[in-house]
Amino acid sequence: MESKYNRYVLVILTIFCVVLIGVTSFSDGWLAPLRTGVGYVLIPIQSGVNRVGVMIYEELADYTKLKTALQENERLQKEIDRLTEENNRLSAERFELERLRELYNLDQEYMQYEKTAARVIANDSGDWFQVFRVDKGAADGISVGNNVLAGGGLVGIVTDVGAHYATVRAIIDDSSRVGSMALQSGDTCIVGGDLTLYVEGRLRITNIQKGADVKEGDRIVTSNISSKFLPGILVGYATNITLDNNQLTSSGYLIPAAQFHNLREVLIITEVKELEEEP
Amino acid sequence: MSIKFKRMIINLALIITAFTIQNCVFPLIPFLSSSPNLLLILTFSFGFIQGQRAGMGYGVLAGLLLDLFYSGPFGFYTLFYIYVGYINGICTKYYYEEYITLPLILSVINELAYNMYIYVFRFLIRGRLNLFYYFRHLMLPEIIFTVVTTLFLYRLILYINQKLKEFESRRDTTIV
Repeated sequence: MESKYNRYVLVILTIFCVVLIGVTSFSDGWLAPLRTGVGYVLIPIQSGVNRVGVMIYEELADYTKLKTALQENERLQKEIDRLTEENNRLSAERFELERLRELYNLDQEYMQYEKTAARVIANDSGDWFQVFRVDKGAADGISVGNNVLAGGGLVGIVTDVGAHYATVRAIIDDSSRVGSMALQSGDTCIVGGDLTLYVEGRLRITNIQKGADVKEGDRIVTSNISSKFLPGILVGYATNITLDNNQLTSSGYLIPAAQFHNLREVLIITEVKELEEEP
Repeated sequence: MSIKFKRMIINLALIITAFTIQNCVFPLIPFLSSSPNLLLILTFSFGFIQGQRAGMGYGVLAGLLLDLFYSGPFGFYTLFYIYVGYINGICTKYYYEEYITLPLILSVINELAYNMYIYVFRFLIRGRLNLFYYFRHLMLPEIIFTVVTTLFLYRLILYINQKLKEFESRRDTTIV
């Protein structure tokens, strides 16, 4: 009797889940209020635990670093003297550069995007997905599709947002695809995450047209034709570009500009790329 | 009634704690290349100790938390965790307290099933065929970590379970 009852419950729950999976595969917008509601309870907990964890970790790290720090301090003092001198020289050159930039109208576009800083409070602990959660959400002007930066390079894209949190899928996630181009030549390509390359800290570049000028060490930036990423954000540097077997396209690898391990703070561009055709 | 309620609160607190540790603390530990799946251990342990219904209840809770955290199709994790609770609940007839071997074997099987589930439905369907690589670099480390953690966590769950039971029986006798 008991086991029969259990089987009924199992069947009902299974149907419930399968239907949910089916429905949400197409649209999961209606779940947002539920996610936000749970977020109100979970986010403060995650935030708090994260803060304590970081504190303890840094305390331990500080202690071990203390010994090497003293030696380093001495060495750095000399370095400072040298750099101060160099700085004087460089700042003179910087003014010249700025003048020239204005002259050539070389606006570095993505410096002008409206950005907000957020702290990473939770990671996917399993290794299958490169997804993390930050402590800013819709209340701070963040919306789905916002680009995320750190260390001067592209980190990922916001896939889900609640009132006070946002979920970010990193570009190293296996399912991530970024429409990009080589900065020098403007040739387009696609930068994709690949779990098998993740350990080496590399991503895959594919779909480079034959004859396109993409060389080792070229800067790869997000392209104008990408539907989700704002143009001109540095993604990384190309390496090992070779011709594919089909003789039509080339592919290779990308070394990302951003550091992904130990990501603590990120910058989120609170501006969504406008799509020509809104559904 | 209030005991049931109390048990529910304790279980909910346990799950949320495990979830938080798994997502907020483990990623901070730099030398941990992989981390144990606490939610899976909790779910299958409760299914094993308390039977199918408790296992399924736990599965629903754990699965919903994961589904709310990730922005994939909703219900993906819930579906799997319900089955973990249910199937491990079947083994409850072999359960007795000092027996640790079976939970360890179950932990290996559950971990393997969990990872294969993700691999098949999230990677294989996108044409990622390199199963051996994923097994070697992702599944194996996680299985090892999870089994080691099961050794400790299972005892803790057993302890909590015993305390709750003691408390309940004491209540019963005073009423009678």
